Amino acid sequence: MPATDTRELAAEFPNPLGLDGIEFVEYSTAKPQALGHVLELMGFRPVARHRSREVLLYRQGGINVIINGHEVPPAQESPQLVAVAFRVRDAAAAYRAVQERGAWPVPTRVEVMELNIPAIHGVGSSRIYFVDRYRDFSIYDVDFVPLPGVPRSAALPPELAGVHLFGVVQYIGAGRMADWCAFYGELFGFTVLPKQERFGILPKGEVLQSPCNQFYWQLVDSVSPDSSSDEHLQRLGLGVADVLAASNTLRARGVEFMESSHVHTEARGALTKSYLGGVMFELVHDERV
Amino acid sequence: MATPATPATPAPMGNTFDFGMDTISLSGSLEAKLAAIKAAGFTQVMLLARDLTGHPDGAEAAARAVRTSGLRVTGFQVLRDFEGLSGHLHQYKLDIARQMLELAASVGAKTMLVCSSTSVHASQDSDVLARDLRKLAMLAIPFGIRIAYEALSWGRTVDEFPQAWDLVCRADMPNLGLGFDSFHMFATNTSLDALEQVDAAKIFLVQLADFMWQETRTAEERITTARHYRVFPGEGVHSEDLSALVRRLHEMGYAGNYSFEVFNDDYAQLPQGFVAQRAMRAAQWLGEDVLRRSVPLPNEMRLRASAR
Repeated sequence: MPATDTRELAAEFPNPLGLDGIEFVEYSTAKPQALGHVLELMGFRPVARHRSREVLLYRQGGINVIINGHEVPPAQESPQLVAVAFRVRDAAAAYRAVQERGAWPVPTRVEVMELNIPAIHGVGSSRIYFVDRYRDFSIYDVDFVPLPGVPRSAALPPELAGVHLFGVVQYIGAGRMADWCAFYGELFGFTVLPKQERFGILPKGEVLQSPCNQFYWQLVDSVSPDSSSDEHLQRLGLGVADVLAASNTLRARGVEFMESSHVHTEARGALTKSYLGGVMFELVHDERV
Repeated sequence: MATPATPATPAPMGNTFDFGMDTISLSGSLEAKLAAIKAAGFTQVMLLARDLTGHPDGAEAAARAVRTSGLRVTGFQVLRDFEGLSGHLHQYKLDIARQMLELAASVGAKTMLVCSSTSVHASQDSDVLARDLRKLAMLAIPFGIRIAYEALSWGRTVDEFPQAWDLVCRADMPNLGLGFDSFHMFATNTSLDALEQVDAAKIFLVQLADFMWQETRTAEERITTARHYRVFPGEGVHSEDLSALVRRLHEMGYAGNYSFEVFNDDYAQLPQGFVAQRAMRAAQWLGEDVLRRSVPLPNEMRLRASAR
């Protein structure tokens, strides 16, 4: 590779990997059924099961959520958001390009006839996958078996009108904002939004916009000085056209929301209570579908 | 330097909290080094990768010993000859860098020291060197580790801190900064005024040491002096320069740690407690006399370096 300043590259190619949204997010939990129940409350439905492992696929609209109950560390008490899969133009090329800039490859272990999805280390113990088969062909067709009686996704209207994956919220240690902005900026082409551009009801930290303009990555820094070991993906943001209608639908299904003087349901957004020791969802007003 | 008849009393933490010892100055097992450093009154320690990998019970046991010692880890050293390589040499060094970062993370180190390359196989193109440092900094981000890049006085392309600072600026990563070693600065007679260009917030580590002679004329002489004949601040012939340096860093707003990078063959064969107490005297001299953090009580006698 010639000695080119990568910042110039980033300016020249604002979307260097051809990022095109999020293909799936993955939770790891020793209690997959309990988490599945929470996802179902949120309007997701189980649609498929992994061929060889205790892994389930849930779906709502275009959002794919994987619950991985396979080889969960014994010390892990609550479900953790452990992976996000980026859709990219060419997964192998993306995997090589980010390593060239200093990303850590994660060794993958696949069984016979399963897809080898390349991944790099993200925050904490999380991973970022690269998926390029999402148009004519689905990765789930290879690794997953549909659950009986589940219609094709197109025939499965979402519980929440217009729901889509708005973004991911990452908690970071004190003094780490610049590091993580550099990480997402340098590797994937995310840009930091101006402070006045905020969404939902929780505006803390910095909001990064994906180079494909399809989702956001919010970095929330800790106030505690010695907290770098507590960096993790904290929650998902679900974009909906009408937050109040969506929260009413979810309440009717049994979802509880935070209602305090600081954080409460309003037209801009809402935050569910924490389930199973740490799983929460944020609703964000966003008219895109 | 006069040796006190009785062991020095550990100073109040407030005056020496930002000074730490390097394990390289001490002989013996890791546990014995940590115990001696702590007993002398230090709160932090600079570790070598060898401290972990050379532990008879393995690196994990060593990491446990560090974590249970109660000492904070100033930093982890040292990655050498990283920048400027290409092809299989670059890939090899990347593997080494990854291993070093994982070791550093295992002891909770937040700073890793990287020395400027001495390799004749390395490029001398600043853009190439900066690109590699940028990549290394990116590798360190998930661990929350900062990379302190230091100019070795016998480095091939970068042998003085202003050059290292130039590369740090070119690479422009938030977790890449300067590692600053007084020995190398004195060895190359680099002017203190060059510090004016440097942003204090981007100095990630300052290593202090002195030596016993005024000049090191050749690279070979610098290497031999650096690896065998360093002494603690206040024990050599550059006490005034060291005072000026530390005061200058303080005035610039440097708020990071100082570590005593003292390679000394004599110290490496003497009891750890004796050496650690000499290090503590250096910390007291710097904290109390040079930085004037507290005024000693009247009639309190403390023996000091005759060189000053």
